[in-house]
Amino acid sequence: MKVSTFSRIDSKSLGYIFLIFVFYCIGCDSQKKKGTDLTELTYIPSGILGLPDIPVPKNNPQSNDKVSLGAKLYSDKRFSSDGTVSCATCHKPEQAFVDKLKVSKGIKNLTGTRNAPTVLNAVYYKSQFWDGRRNDLEGQSKDPLLNPVEHGLSSHDDLIKVVKSDPEYTSRFKSVFGIDSDSIQIDHVAMAIASFERTIVSGNSPFDRYRFGKDEKALSESAIRGLNLYMGKARCQDCHTIGETYAIFIDDKFHNLGVGFKRIQPKLEEILQKKAESKNSPTSDEEILTNLESSELGRFAVTGVSEDLGAFKTPTLRNIALTSPYMHDGSLTTLEKVIDLYDRGGETNPFLSSGIRPLGLSGQEKADLLSFLKSLTSPVLPSMPK
Amino acid sequence: MDDRLTFKDRYRSRILLGVFASVFFFIFGTVSLLFADDWDKSNEDKWNAAFMETVARGEKLFHGPELGGNTVQCAMCHPNATNTHPETYPKFQKQIGKVSTLREMINWCIQNPLQGKPLAYDDPKMIALEAYIMYERRNSVLAPGKH
Amino acid sequence: MEEGKLSRKDFLRRTGGLLAASIVPMSLVEIACGGRGKGTHEKFTFAFISDPHLTHIKGTNFVRNFDNGLNKAIETVNLMFPRPDFVVFGGDLAQLGKREELDHGMELLSKLKVPVKFVIGEHDYYLDMGNYWQDKISKLNYSFDHKGVHFVVLNSILTYDNWIKRWKTPEERMNEMARLDNPNGSPFMVGDDQIAWLKKDLEDIKSGTPLVVLSHSPLYKIYKPWNFWTDDAEQIQSVLSKFDNVTVFHGHVHQVLYNQIKNISFYALMSTAWPWPYPESYTQSPHYIPKMTVFMNRQDPFHERDGTGWAFVNMDNAREEMHYKLWENKDRIVKYDESAGHPVDSTYQKPETRILPQTHY
Repeated sequence: MKVSTFSRIDSKSLGYIFLIFVFYCIGCDSQKKKGTDLTELTYIPSGILGLPDIPVPKNNPQSNDKVSLGAKLYSDKRFSSDGTVSCATCHKPEQAFVDKLKVSKGIKNLTGTRNAPTVLNAVYYKSQFWDGRRNDLEGQSKDPLLNPVEHGLSSHDDLIKVVKSDPEYTSRFKSVFGIDSDSIQIDHVAMAIASFERTIVSGNSPFDRYRFGKDEKALSESAIRGLNLYMGKARCQDCHTIGETYAIFIDDKFHNLGVGFKRIQPKLEEILQKKAESKNSPTSDEEILTNLESSELGRFAVTGVSEDLGAFKTPTLRNIALTSPYMHDGSLTTLEKVIDLYDRGGETNPFLSSGIRPLGLSGQEKADLLSFLKSLTSPVLPSMPK
Repeated sequence: MDDRLTFKDRYRSRILLGVFASVFFFIFGTVSLLFADDWDKSNEDKWNAAFMETVARGEKLFHGPELGGNTVQCAMCHPNATNTHPETYPKFQKQIGKVSTLREMINWCIQNPLQGKPLAYDDPKMIALEAYIMYERRNSVLAPGKH
Repeated sequence: MEEGKLSRKDFLRRTGGLLAASIVPMSLVEIACGGRGKGTHEKFTFAFISDPHLTHIKGTNFVRNFDNGLNKAIETVNLMFPRPDFVVFGGDLAQLGKREELDHGMELLSKLKVPVKFVIGEHDYYLDMGNYWQDKISKLNYSFDHKGVHFVVLNSILTYDNWIKRWKTPEERMNEMARLDNPNGSPFMVGDDQIAWLKKDLEDIKSGTPLVVLSHSPLYKIYKPWNFWTDDAEQIQSVLSKFDNVTVFHGHVHQVLYNQIKNISFYALMSTAWPWPYPESYTQSPHYIPKMTVFMNRQDPFHERDGTGWAFVNMDNAREEMHYKLWENKDRIVKYDESAGHPVDSTYQKPETRILPQTHY
């Protein structure tokens, strides 16, 4: 009676199976690329008020030499096709590790589709990039090098050639990783850059002194009212979470606020159909930064789950007053505009995250929230190691 | 030696006094339990009735649009006050971001899904809601802090 | 300790990621599983939207949250590729049966790009005993055939006459019926007239034909105090007993729920408005929740869409594959397992793979 499961497959079904297979392989492949995610973490104390311990992969322990090598690599403009772009170009150490531009400029002044997030406290994210397409700093650091609108290298070998030809690098790689020039690979470069970025943390803001340092005078009356709004009526706490003993102001999740989404919504059906039929999914780093349609799909471009349409990662709020403009596309120039966006319940669309809704804040309440956000600025920001 | 004896005697008399006092209070207490007005059966019925009246008021509030600004009712998500878990408070409440009491969570629900105005913690409505919720969860084991 | 904890979390997150990657096409592309069993029908997909409970406040004002739930389901169904053949609407379009609510609901549903098959719920019915619904929306019970499958729609939310007559006004009757945990409630039933109609409708249908029954209340008995219950369920089950494969899809319970009674598989639909708790969470009275059901997570009330969702079904050779699309939660696929003889959750059925309970109440 019973016929085996795959006994009757028509050609259409075969097509779908193939499609699923392709998706699956790409999915597996992208998981493999994130291999370092499987590494266990150890934690080292941050020693900074308001910050939790810093997670460090066991296979990439911190050392002073590695951090300073990472810092040098981070600032090296030779790792771009026209010699103009380093990591520090868009994540400027002297500007709270952002570039203050709407969307970043890469080689030949080419622009991408997304606002450069700060490196400050990026170590605490469980995924990197606005759509979380990399799981750690090591994985993140390699992608912009190859992106045609960022560093524009044709392959990581371009970078390795530069490193190998520079005696200072070869001797430092030798002392940090114990490897000869021939064995230097992009992963070593990524590990060094990530180690450097793990030192780019900042806390001890007036808010931290008030909340975790028991200094009741650290915040103004207005900022304290703002904090209460933040926890209650303004509904900030649920995503930009403040913990019991520390705060990194994130939930490690992705949300659709409707920002930028209306640009693609009328064509959404067409875009998704194209994506389902194309073999380039999950979407590549290059496509996300060069194709506005793919970019605005947000987290969906990584997962393919309809729930993730137009959803972007919750960013930290630490030093938020220093890192304008805001949102994944840099479309909001001031914090006032960001508060207004939330107050009106985001930009209405069918995939709007369900915690987002009109808040009915008064002018005074908005001003109080703003004072609170400004209290998240650290008095001292980390700088480049000498 | 003498001192010690004297002390022992004093000690003994204290025990005697203690035993005498205990017996006296025990008898007096038992008698008063049986006969005093406060423990009258009819009073107990009255008190129970007062409590159940409060529960009924709470039930009505819980099943009506009165608390909210958008006609949404508590019972929509919590029929028979299920999933309210009063026995787990105080506990860390994610939505409030701190260790909170049941009354604070009731107010959170009134302000958020119901879009209404929060109640004072001693508002008779708040007490009625608390009574109804607790009554529906009667016989649950206390588990403060539990998630 | 802390470290072990986190890496376990990471692991879970990772497996979540893998799952998401492999699920990619499932939300947008029909799944191909090939032939199985003795199916005689073409493969097809239909979608389910149920229990939006659109609530009129006043004027043109409706509860925003519930509108958003229905809109989200409609928009997502419209993005399915290929499109489902039709959408089944599982009932309770309105909260209090008002014309404003039904009109508003029809306006939202008109955005669906595929035809809709309507099932009525008690919230749509008890204000005017289904008059407006029958005028403007749909018949209350009917049947249709689609690609070799026979579909029957039942009005399962009828109740006893003396209860209906008990109330002074239609509004009072509606309000009493709208309260789920109402001690003055009255059990649902299909009723003798419809059972006679059903017998007649099924007379000429061969027993090998896959049969799908659509109702609002579950056509079995789960928990009477909340009307997760149909009083004459056994009679209906016996009418359906001659068929090899029967699947009942029902709304009303706003939760993931599935069961097998003899030849009949039962699946509940999610609501787009809010989730109901499982009856077992009420400790004061007993219930008959199907043991095989792997419960859904408790929802976080901050996120209004948590605990709500929609579903689609792949009909493939006499057996159904139910895809629960759970917003803000892990999607679930539940399908009939030949060897188990009942629906099985493809990922979470085994105790060791159960979804870890959510901890943020």
